Amino acid sequence: MTVLDLLTTLQDSALAHTISKTDHLVAAGLQIIHVLGLIFFLASLVLISLRAVGWALADQPVQQVARDTSRLLWIGLVLTALSGTLMFIATPKLYYFNWAFGLKMGLLLLAVIVQFGMFRRITKNESATPLFVRSSVALSVACWFSVAMAGRMIGFV
Amino acid sequence: MSLLLALAEQIEASSVGVAIAESRFAYPVIEGIHLIGLAVSVGLIFITDLRLMGVMLKRIPVERVLNSLRPYVLAGFAAIFISGILLFWSSAARMLESPAFVFKLLFIALAGINAIVFEFIVVPKQRPTIGLGVLPRTFRYAGFASLTLWTLTIVCGRLIPYLPAWS
Repeated sequence: MTVLDLLTTLQDSALAHTISKTDHLVAAGLQIIHVLGLIFFLASLVLISLRAVGWALADQPVQQVARDTSRLLWIGLVLTALSGTLMFIATPKLYYFNWAFGLKMGLLLLAVIVQFGMFRRITKNESATPLFVRSSVALSVACWFSVAMAGRMIGFV
Repeated sequence: MSLLLALAEQIEASSVGVAIAESRFAYPVIEGIHLIGLAVSVGLIFITDLRLMGVMLKRIPVERVLNSLRPYVLAGFAAIFISGILLFWSSAARMLESPAFVFKLLFIALAGINAIVFEFIVVPKQRPTIGLGVLPRTFRYAGFASLTLWTLTIVCGRLIPYLPAWS
């Protein structure tokens, strides 16, 4: 079974038809959830980043701010991932052959690696050097903003 | 309305409008900047609203949250405002014909009024009582109104390409 066969099976599935053939407002609803989830996630990430580099709430412990924001961050991530997966299932072939989508997935992978390999260390332990904090934050924010930018381009290329 | 539409068509047909609409990358890149600016400014506003409603960051005083995040909210706003104007420039007539766009503008105006009333009337009046304890009810209302109005703004914005024009 090739990738294309797999995508065809997915695209012809009952779930895919439910999303893509019921009403175009179903797709619009998924897009709205995707954007709102992204805003929750990115804003949480930006807040923790601003605190980590000392640009906002400098008198509050980083770990505290990260913990207090983590629920919103995860809600955002789950909403975005879930709506994104459903959008992909509806028209997998459209996305598979879209270069902006491929770029977005590559950047997403990179962002997740940075998140777990670097960013997580500054929210978990207090002994990170300022240079490490600043480079983790810069890299992480750059990656996630690029994911958003590449994602926005999918509909235009 | 027809006069407004004629004006919008002229804006759209101007050299800047045509350049953005016809460039392969300008329109999507400006859309991307609009989205990222939105995530920063409206996203941080959402966090502030949730603080006002007593949902998150409860250990940090409200005024600390407001003052600390304000510059980034405003910087994000500058990005959304400029990119939004450029997007409008290239599709002014289509936007005026879209009910979703007109409602989006209405919700932005209401959110703006809510923010001004909160910052310049509600907060100064309540200042002596602002602490870590239970917040005045007006704070929760203002936070809830802001959260609702900005959510509606985003919903309408995303619906622009999906809803039919005024009939």
